[in-house]
Amino acid sequence: MSKFLLFLGCTIPTKQYAYEISVRNVLPRLGIELVDFPEAGCCGFPLKGINKKGWMYMSARILSLAAKKGLPILALCNGCDTSLRKVKDMLKHDEVLKDEIAELLSREGVKLNFNVDVYHTIEVLHDFIGVEKIKSLVVRPLKGIKIASYPGCHMLRPSDIPRPEPSGEPKKFDAILSALGAEVGYYPDKGGCCGATMLPYSPKHAFRLTAAKIRNMKDFGFQATTTSCPYCMEMLDSKQEAIRAELGDDTLSIPVFYITQLVGLAIGLKPKELGLNLNLSPVEEVLERLGVSLYE
Amino acid sequence: MSDVRIGVYVCHCGKNIGGVINPAKVAEFASRLPNVVVSRDYMYMCSSPGQALIEDDIKKYNLNRVIVAACSPRMHEPTFQAVLKRAGLNPWLLQMVNIREHVTWVHEDTPDKAEEKAKELVAAAVARAAHLYEITTEKAPVAKSALVIGGGIAGIRAALDLANAGIKVYLVEKRQSIGGKMAQLDKTFPTLDCSKCILTPLMVDVARHPNIEIYAYSEVVDVSGSAGDFKVKVKLKPTYVDWSKCTGCGLCVEKCPGRAPSEFNEGLGFRKAIYFEFAQAVPRKPVIDPRYCLWFTKGICRVCSKVCPVGAIDYEQKERYVELNVGAIVVAIGYEIYDMSKMVEYGYGKFKNVITGLQLERLSDADGPTKGKILRLSDGKEPKTVAIVLCAGSRDEKHVKYCCRFGCAAALKHVYYIKHSVPDAKVLIFYTDVRAFGKGFEEFYQKVRSWDDVYFIRGRPAEIFEDKDGSLVFDVYDSNTGQLINVKADLVVLESAVVPPKDWEPLRRLLKVSCDPGGFALELHPKLRPFETTADGIFLAGTIQGPKDIPDTVAHAAAAAAAAIGFLLKGYVESVPYLATVNEDLCSGCGLCASVCPYDAITIEEKEGRRVAKVNMIRCKGCGTCAATCPSGAMQQNYFTDTQILSEVSTLAGGAK
Amino acid sequence: MSLDVKLIDKKVLKDVIELVKPHTPQYCYQCAKCTSACSTSKVLPEYKPHLIVALTRLGLIKELLNSGIIWACSECWKCAEYCPQDVAPVEVVIALKNLAISMGYKPPEDLRVMAKNVVELGYISPPIEVLSKEFEMYSRATLGLPQLIKPYINVEAVNNLKKFFGGVYE
Repeated sequence: MSKFLLFLGCTIPTKQYAYEISVRNVLPRLGIELVDFPEAGCCGFPLKGINKKGWMYMSARILSLAAKKGLPILALCNGCDTSLRKVKDMLKHDEVLKDEIAELLSREGVKLNFNVDVYHTIEVLHDFIGVEKIKSLVVRPLKGIKIASYPGCHMLRPSDIPRPEPSGEPKKFDAILSALGAEVGYYPDKGGCCGATMLPYSPKHAFRLTAAKIRNMKDFGFQATTTSCPYCMEMLDSKQEAIRAELGDDTLSIPVFYITQLVGLAIGLKPKELGLNLNLSPVEEVLERLGVSLYE
Repeated sequence: MSDVRIGVYVCHCGKNIGGVINPAKVAEFASRLPNVVVSRDYMYMCSSPGQALIEDDIKKYNLNRVIVAACSPRMHEPTFQAVLKRAGLNPWLLQMVNIREHVTWVHEDTPDKAEEKAKELVAAAVARAAHLYEITTEKAPVAKSALVIGGGIAGIRAALDLANAGIKVYLVEKRQSIGGKMAQLDKTFPTLDCSKCILTPLMVDVARHPNIEIYAYSEVVDVSGSAGDFKVKVKLKPTYVDWSKCTGCGLCVEKCPGRAPSEFNEGLGFRKAIYFEFAQAVPRKPVIDPRYCLWFTKGICRVCSKVCPVGAIDYEQKERYVELNVGAIVVAIGYEIYDMSKMVEYGYGKFKNVITGLQLERLSDADGPTKGKILRLSDGKEPKTVAIVLCAGSRDEKHVKYCCRFGCAAALKHVYYIKHSVPDAKVLIFYTDVRAFGKGFEEFYQKVRSWDDVYFIRGRPAEIFEDKDGSLVFDVYDSNTGQLINVKADLVVLESAVVPPKDWEPLRRLLKVSCDPGGFALELHPKLRPFETTADGIFLAGTIQGPKDIPDTVAHAAAAAAAAIGFLLKGYVESVPYLATVNEDLCSGCGLCASVCPYDAITIEEKEGRRVAKVNMIRCKGCGTCAATCPSGAMQQNYFTDTQILSEVSTLAGGAK
Repeated sequence: MSLDVKLIDKKVLKDVIELVKPHTPQYCYQCAKCTSACSTSKVLPEYKPHLIVALTRLGLIKELLNSGIIWACSECWKCAEYCPQDVAPVEVVIALKNLAISMGYKPPEDLRVMAKNVVELGYISPPIEVLSKEFEMYSRATLGLPQLIKPYINVEAVNNLKKFFGGVYE
């Protein structure tokens, strides 16, 4: 499998541009063909608290549009990936729900069809491209850099639907990092929550959750961290300065990358091709060790 | 047909029947049916006067069929059959009609219709009664011997009780020593007896008992035959030591350079490639594990054969088989600990200092890998803060749905172990419910919760993480005080869930024993017959029927033995009255019946140049599958012949007259 | 201050059970493993998923909804993952959120804005310009990314969205 509909969700195309940039530049070089999916829009996951059925309708619509195109979906965001798979699972097992959603979609001329495969960045990298191929293309190994994989809640849970990491631990994620030459390891609560969903309720409390993760990574000797979710990136990277201010702790400082940015760096791409100038965390610390300038 | 003289008896069953319909009216209706000579109603037919009524009538009116319209035959069929027997009639000339469970108990709201239904059912029974015939059962002798599968405390108890009753017992145990889980425990609750001290005398009793033959390091591989006459094939696995020569001196074990993880110590510490199960093993004979033996893996060493003073080492030994003929089988194969690494969030298997309760037993045992000192596995230091987690994996829809039954009591015992070994340790017990139901348990619980530096916290950890120094860190919400506690523990003990032996499925199928949703052996009746199965002659002893502690296991095993003794000492087995019978004139020998029989009771045989079905009268359990399958009607079932059933059906279809 | 037993009612639980099928909040035995796991509870101790389930089972949710604390759930899904009885507290909370909205409660402002954006733009927020490390502002266009089109152009599609989310921001 090497051709996918590129499903960006909301946060990536409107704010977290580095993920899209790095994916568009890296994945094709690894043999993946990406087809744009601009009519998809929001998966609805953030709105399920307002109306669960509304959420299911939105994700079902995306599945149906993809089915019409006859291509599998590559969901970059952990939340989108979970959303699409969860709705697919619910439609499979609930006839009444299926009929309701089908009726709603038929009003806009879309036929309900959830017979489409959904994949996530980590699966495409690990299962379809494979760590051996990635390893063979590495020209700038991330040697000596201890990187904390940050899978995020929705890469691991809920485990009663297919997950990119089915074992409850980021084994594939760490395998990819090892293939890039980085050092991986354990730190407590690796599967913990960045707090992004708490932002509408109370940013202060959300920051405290993220801070605890960064603290663990630092305590266990990691020099950088990486994620595959734009929400997690928003917290760990974009809001890192605000977190330092809120906690009054300047040591809560760590370079944060998208996994595709790290893959890109290792296979020799330039920082500009990976949107690295958009990362707000101190990524220069890592780039220096690789002998790369941020503005290349 | 010959003179059919029916007596009909309609019971009131107090208000159960009489409160909904009018039994007198039903009796009156029945009196007008064909062949009915006498028809009565009475308050309690099963009572002494009620029974006397029937007995007297049989004699007075020369009855040769009796119909009792009352409760379910499962309640009182045997009662009324006894009445017939006393009056000199064959008991299978009785027909019961269920007008309680099938009429008055379910149609309370429509009494008029209920009474009509009762009348119709009685009419159908009257029609059927004309076609009833005498049934006699056959007897076959029973071998006065028993097989006990499993040599733990349950198997030991059952074997001793059977042997003491004069029955020859074959005890088959898959490990090289009997003793089971109880030999792995340090102490037993609530008395804190030393486990091996109370167990090993029984093990020696078994070894010395003239009626018991132990087959250790052996497994049952085939079972055929039927109750009273089982043929069992046992595989004696190769030990590579001639046990008939071996004196148990232990020199081979001493000198062996090989190393393997110790199963007896639950993976903690090592044993040799040639090893005894444990020091007090019975039989005390070693076994070579070819996976770790240098001779078997690399072709070198052979020190054991060099030092053995009696030349007992035999690397060429092959597996052997014996055939046993036994009358009864007692299944006592025990339980296993749930694989806690399946609960990924607890870190068992990843973090050295997260152990199971059974592993703690091995640490606490003076014979264990740390000689009885409770130490952290990561660095051998004394744990100063110990967390005991109850219900690890139990009562959990994602892991093991049921309660392990002895985890709470074991945890109390474990508190004792820890405080005894590390007196200044802080022990936290994380529980949801404390189930201290047994004799002496409440007193034990009271004592433990009063001890210094022991804390019972009503909460359950969700995830356990490891800190840099190997200690475990996790949060637990204490629902008693409403606080989230940040715990840092040197050692975490998981009182793990309990499951049936994972590889017992083939044996289960051989024995034709069903299992319950948890995978444990299914008992015949959960309340009244917990140590018997639907398979005649096969009994259940101990935790294979469900988790239980030692006193309950012993009681269960003794009960199984008593039932087996009763079965064997009766001296014979009797065929079921509902036997399948073959009309050889109609039988074409097609073999369909044999192919569907769940009890392998039918064979197709040559007889006077034709092929006909033959029913083994002891194996047949009267399930009726063959009779229903037979295309020609040659196979009929006693008491449920086509004629009998169809007469009821056509009466019901035609309406009561 | 004590509670009158007449207030204890199973209607809320029954409604929630319908909304969270096939999960089983009625089987909860209050082990509080969810609260041990809960990410939100670690930074906001008043938020306790086991308590939310306990209140739901008794029908005592008025004060709970008034407090608005159900919107604090971080949706990390640990509670559902570790719960031994498949109560799935996070799903109970989502059901309570939906019930609250239908009863007229309003969600946090940011969520209302997201809902409005989804109906009007098809995304939870409009595309913004971001500040880079070298203090330059970048947009999709200046980053060389393809232009975004409005995903929900069909009138019926927008009507569907309005139906579901219109109530919270109008």
